[in-house]
Amino acid sequence: MTTKILLALTLLAGAVQAQTVTGKAFGTYVNAAGVTSQSPVATLPSSGGMATGQADAFGVAGAVDASRLNAVTTGAVDNKKSGAESTSELEQVSVAGGAITADVVTAVATAYFGQFTGGSDGEGSGFVNLVVNGEAITTEVAPNTRVDLPGVGYAILNEQIQTGNGVTSWGMTVNMIHVVLQDALTGLTTGEIIIGSASSSVAR
Amino acid sequence: MNTARHLSLALGAVAAVLIAAACHDAASPQDTITAGILPGHNKGGSQCADFRLTGGGRVDKPEPETGKSPPSSHDFATFGFQARPDAACPFDMAGSGNIEWNEHLETQYGGGFAFHGRVTLFSTPNDGTETNPQCGRFGGFGRLNPHNGPTEEDVSFEVNHACDVDEPGVGQDHIYMRIGPLADGSIYFRHSLLSGGNIQWHRLTGNN
Repeated sequence: MTTKILLALTLLAGAVQAQTVTGKAFGTYVNAAGVTSQSPVATLPSSGGMATGQADAFGVAGAVDASRLNAVTTGAVDNKKSGAESTSELEQVSVAGGAITADVVTAVATAYFGQFTGGSDGEGSGFVNLVVNGEAITTEVAPNTRVDLPGVGYAILNEQIQTGNGVTSWGMTVNMIHVVLQDALTGLTTGEIIIGSASSSVAR
Repeated sequence: MNTARHLSLALGAVAAVLIAAACHDAASPQDTITAGILPGHNKGGSQCADFRLTGGGRVDKPEPETGKSPPSSHDFATFGFQARPDAACPFDMAGSGNIEWNEHLETQYGGGFAFHGRVTLFSTPNDGTETNPQCGRFGGFGRLNPHNGPTEEDVSFEVNHACDVDEPGVGQDHIYMRIGPLADGSIYFRHSLLSGGNIQWHRLTGNN
């Protein structure tokens, strides 16, 4: 009897300890021409809490210009429910020499679980006054929309990547603008630019 | 600013907010502020709540509308917060935590702003949402950076309520943010169902 109780307590303790949350958000990441540059990153502690990463402005010549970069991630771990919410925002954004511009870029990634189930989503993510290749986009951009950028490569807009197994773990990464830089002659990938990134995950 | 003055200002701000809230919403109950205390941990005669809140995401249209504003609109705010009772509970409703609130609407104060708040008070709401046991209320002071204007320090704020209704939070959880009085005497507020993100209420167990 005592052994069974100890086993149950051990399993319970293990289950509680196994619960984790992760959260990460940043405004910009540039890897081009052998140079890597990134704006401040907000990284959530595995036990939950809150973290921020902010900058008044960020620029890499020819790659990205943006202002008012705000990245926030929050989360909590509990034996009944846990959650992580990450948000990244930038304003006055110009990417790839102006191939993509937007007044505001907002990425929101959410992951959670309750007593019986969990989930993750990128609800709340969006653009304000997005312009791609000189054309204004006046409707919501569907997740994982690909657009070609002549002379640059291509971009995935509102990139949403689900993570986790959907049973004991759930997660979401949102990259609002993910530019893949390509060599104009060979088509080989030469770098990437990520604008507005938010990731959240939970596991139990 | 010393702690005593901060506390005095905080309590004064809460009282002012309670009066202002009554003006905005005549249906709000006029409970005293102590009525909002959830019986929780009690240290040295002070009472503090026995739960905490975390949340983050986006709010657009005023409650009860749901959904995002159109892609041409700046009419939304994003936020992230953690709020809980102060572990030492040095006075009734003592709280701790932080909140980030970014308003994008150009016609709002300062042409939009970023607000960084520090939580000093934490309790259950008393604006009618206390009927939902998974709502909380918190407030304190912070720095406001208007898009057009100088930075303002020690600006009071109160989240009249942040409610964890269900999972997922979009279209269900809701938050009521008030900031001010601002430099021009106005009070900012936004009261919305979440269009992105989530709010979670957690009972304090001693391990969290």
